[in-house]
Amino acid sequence: MTAVIAATNLSKWYGNVLGLNDVSLEIESGITGLLGPNGAGKSTFMKLITGQLKPNIGGVTVRGRKVWNNPALFAGIGFCPEHDVFYEDVTGFEFITGLLRFYGYSASDIKDRAARALDIVDLTQDKDRLIRGYSRGMRQRVKFAQAIAHDPEIVILDEPLSGLDPLGKRKLIKLIKDFKSEGRTVLVSSHVLPEIEALTSRIVLLHQGKILAQGDIPYIRELIEAHPHMISVRSSDPRALAARFVGDPAIQKMTFGADGRTFVVETHNRDAFFGRLTGAVLEGGVEVEEISSPDDNLQAVFEYLVGK
Amino acid sequence: MNARKSIGEIFGFFFFLGRRTGKIRVFVLLGLIPVALAVVVRIVLHGRSGDMAAVFTEILMVFFLQFYIVILSLFYGTSVVAEEIEGRTLSYLITRPLPKPAIVLGKYAAYVLLMFLMVAVSLTPSYFIMNAARLAEPSLYLTFLGYLGVLGLGILAYTAFFTFLGAVLKRAILVGLVFGFGWENVIQYFPGSTQKFSIVHYLKSLLPYRPMGGGGGRLALLLFKLEPTAPAIAVLMLAVVAGVLLALACWFFRAKEYLYEE
Repeated sequence: MTAVIAATNLSKWYGNVLGLNDVSLEIESGITGLLGPNGAGKSTFMKLITGQLKPNIGGVTVRGRKVWNNPALFAGIGFCPEHDVFYEDVTGFEFITGLLRFYGYSASDIKDRAARALDIVDLTQDKDRLIRGYSRGMRQRVKFAQAIAHDPEIVILDEPLSGLDPLGKRKLIKLIKDFKSEGRTVLVSSHVLPEIEALTSRIVLLHQGKILAQGDIPYIRELIEAHPHMISVRSSDPRALAARFVGDPAIQKMTFGADGRTFVVETHNRDAFFGRLTGAVLEGGVEVEEISSPDDNLQAVFEYLVGK
Repeated sequence: MNARKSIGEIFGFFFFLGRRTGKIRVFVLLGLIPVALAVVVRIVLHGRSGDMAAVFTEILMVFFLQFYIVILSLFYGTSVVAEEIEGRTLSYLITRPLPKPAIVLGKYAAYVLLMFLMVAVSLTPSYFIMNAARLAEPSLYLTFLGYLGVLGLGILAYTAFFTFLGAVLKRAILVGLVFGFGWENVIQYFPGSTQKFSIVHYLKSLLPYRPMGGGGGRLALLLFKLEPTAPAIAVLMLAVVAGVLLALACWFFRAKEYLYEE
């Protein structure tokens, strides 16, 4: 399959700070998830492929054409920026119609497209309210609407799910998946694995400006599973509960919290631990108040992968 | 979309946006100062000769030439590029099928028209209130059009200069303040050709009525010590200044990448 977006040895730095470091990547049609903690280089990469930044080294093309200072290319690209920024003194409808003017559509076409885009994101009723009066979720949705209003072939979405409520997230995830079925190319960034997981099985892991791993979800999961997990258990009697795990081969390390109510285990086999914990609770005598994973986040996975 | 249509669309969008912002209300209010001044002067001058009205009209022009159009152009000119960076809205513009120079030129044109309208709204009542005793004289209207034209040219030239500053510098407004209220004010009192290194020199050379230009009168030092340039050359110079600086602003905007401050 031909790459829609291709980056070759792409590097970008801001003064002494490295934004992206020797990234070579080919993105095909369908949904690709760009995953990484804050500062990983996701936004830098997206800005490079949307012509907002100029590469220091290497190059980036969309459909084989260079991006920097090539405005004709943007007729087929929709971009949803990460930042919560707008022209605040206009209504949602005026915002979308104003930006649609830049595509050369007729006045009636502009109105139709704006109405359609706002309908897609459920903002029809609020279209005549000033954007400065919108809630965070509504602002996120109108930002998404401006990215799709011109029906682009390529959609670049920088953290589109942040700030949305669970229902809004579900709806947006469905919309993005619909784009895929229409044969479009979608690049979505997030620092939350389950969000990306809900969208696509094709993931690129970025960390400190470099591609750490890329592949499908099972491969990424495999990397994550190999990572020793920390699980914190709060209980009325943590020592009694911990005693039941002594000798368990799944446990590598166990420590007790200073509050006297928690113990933290480090395990390579999370499922086995949870199985035994459930058994211990069912056996009775000890009450479990809370279970949490202090390092069950991408940063921990990245740290693990980097240190590997 | 071709460049001309792109400029037109950008112009339309920002002319619309410009009328919506709070900034315009502040500047319109500022424009009421000369109107209020004209009313006061009119009351004080009640029954006096028309020449005093002409003198005060000149003072009024100092307000417009050396303050109002400078401050308007400074804020609107630098914001052509800088407000997109500070507001992080540049992403919405440069990811559209628009040539980058069209963004600069379209915004520039929109803001120039907005400023011209603000100036016209302020100058018209203040001028005619001040000269209410001469409303029957046709020359009054020609002089008015002359003043309006000079202010229009001033807006074109100053805004081009500040647009260029905004495209090149991060803190353009500070440099603009030094230029607009430092350099431009001081340099005009220098003798010889030094004063020709200011925009205001060419604007003053075009003023239709300069009773104190010859150096007489107690207020002369504060108002004019002008060694005027021929009107045709003055217009040409202002056009060249505006054209060259706008072209440079477009070139910088196209070549430079703008980073948002984190």
